[in-house]
Amino acid sequence: MKIIFSLFMLISLSFASDATIEVIKKVDSLPSLAVEDASVSYNDTYKMQFFKSLIADLNVISLFNVDRHYRTASYDDSSVVVENKDMNYVLRYSMIKGDNGALSVVLKLINADKEVFSKSYKVSNDKLFMFVSHAIAYDVNEFMGEPSVEWMKRKVIFSRIVAPQKSEIVIADYTLAYQHVIISGGFNVFPKWANRAQNSFYYTSLDGLTPTLKHVDVAKSKVTSVLSSDGMMICSDVSDDGKTLLLTMAKDGQPDIYTYNTTTQKYKRETFYGGIDVNAQFMNRDTIVFISSRLGYPNVFSKKLNTNQIEQRVYYGRSNSACSAHGEYIVYKSRETSNAFSDNTFNLHLISTKTDFIRRLTAVGVNEFPRFSRDGDAIIFIKNYKSQSSIGIIRLNHNKNYLFPLKYGKLQSMDW
Amino acid sequence: MRSLVLLSVATALLVFSGCSSKEPVVDTNAQEVQAPVVQEVEVVETEVVSVDDSMVDAQSNAMSMSDIENQLPAIYFAFDKFDVDAKMQEKISAAAAMGKGEASSYSVKLEGNCDEWGSDEYNFALGLKRADAVKKALVAEGIDASRVSMVSYGESNPVCSDKTQECWSKNRRVNFKLLP
Repeated sequence: MKIIFSLFMLISLSFASDATIEVIKKVDSLPSLAVEDASVSYNDTYKMQFFKSLIADLNVISLFNVDRHYRTASYDDSSVVVENKDMNYVLRYSMIKGDNGALSVVLKLINADKEVFSKSYKVSNDKLFMFVSHAIAYDVNEFMGEPSVEWMKRKVIFSRIVAPQKSEIVIADYTLAYQHVIISGGFNVFPKWANRAQNSFYYTSLDGLTPTLKHVDVAKSKVTSVLSSDGMMICSDVSDDGKTLLLTMAKDGQPDIYTYNTTTQKYKRETFYGGIDVNAQFMNRDTIVFISSRLGYPNVFSKKLNTNQIEQRVYYGRSNSACSAHGEYIVYKSRETSNAFSDNTFNLHLISTKTDFIRRLTAVGVNEFPRFSRDGDAIIFIKNYKSQSSIGIIRLNHNKNYLFPLKYGKLQSMDW
Repeated sequence: MRSLVLLSVATALLVFSGCSSKEPVVDTNAQEVQAPVVQEVEVVETEVVSVDDSMVDAQSNAMSMSDIENQLPAIYFAFDKFDVDAKMQEKISAAAAMGKGEASSYSVKLEGNCDEWGSDEYNFALGLKRADAVKKALVAEGIDASRVSMVSYGESNPVCSDKTQECWSKNRRVNFKLLP
């Protein structure tokens, strides 16, 4: 009995940090947090916008039971407002209107009537308030000593279909609260950040005779054509150093995966299967995962670059048509129903290449375009459900999904 | 550091400027509305067409490119499939006959399309394989492969957006687009 018990303990412990195993709901055990607005500047609408954004961000860091009541206080009051006196933490902030539309925010975190953390923020334009709210959530998370949520501060780039053969490329924050249309007019799809700094990106233009990959340098406002291919031309992934691109091209109508060296400007064909090979993603520097129809249906495979070693990675699901990888983890989209005549459900699943566990990450609708954050802490994806397009964030270690709806149009693809 | 990041976001979005008219329009944030300056426009140039020139040869049956294009069929496919069935093969044969006849001076771009189930690369590839299947069938009917180019629009070019079976099947198609 003792041996069985210790064996059981050993197995439980060895899987303790496996993200494919679900975390049991621990909402009740989370500390409570209330937010108090001490702003003097700005009107009520603006104050409420900022408050909502901050509440959403504090929810996403998944460390607190966040109280959603809007309460006001005076910034220098030594005690919290009476309704918040039972809260474990109180976050009090004040927004100050600066010159030329700038916004400054000061804040303090109060725990047991003591100020435990304080910081101030400034943006040049008060329309960018959501970036302040993301930065606050990021800092509170750091203060609590949790793994970094660096991805919260990154920008999302997406393409939105506004009419048949008409699309826009938009740069946004991860909640889609801030949106800036950077390319409009024409039919442009599959935007992909070209580097870590997010100051340039690639996209596919479908306006000309052949699909063309273009590169945009945002700072220099320069658009250059990179490569064209008959039929299909997509930049699926960019290596960490930005020097190698994984492309899907279709020379002679045959979709295959190519690597492209941005320094030498030469490409190399990586797959040679006569069916469909698409959606290559770096797993690490030398290995890629991709979607192939070589079993007669789309599924996830991996290939070691510079060798011919190809390996099937997923053994569950009859139609797995998109994937992303981070270290040992692979997230993939799987068709759960196979019906030409009614609504279909596509869910995201997470597997680890080291264990046999499969974790279903979504429940309803068409969930696609999964992309890991750079640190692997979160997955961003597109959800289309009941004519509504949203961007979703999955916090893997907290077992929570957050959805941020798009106001109009349909999300085609995105990157962050 | 933080304000630097935010500032760089703002700057990046500010500095983008426009391109030539054929390029996609790149938006710039700096909007200065200027009052239009009233200018006198030049005299409109006119051209007089002589009676002889204005006579159109009524005997000529030559159809315009768009007329021919309208007569070319759309080729439909089954769910998740890219093989051409017998009924669609007949349509392709008819299109090939036009390609050798009245459309013989044009090239054709085959546009592959899919239904709304997925916007990922696989769906684009499916649209392309559909276009490729039609191209192979055209070549087999004697059309020169160099006259045929292909593009896939995935699910982004629907002709119908209802949530019905008929609608989805209309979107799983290949269109012929003539090029001079």
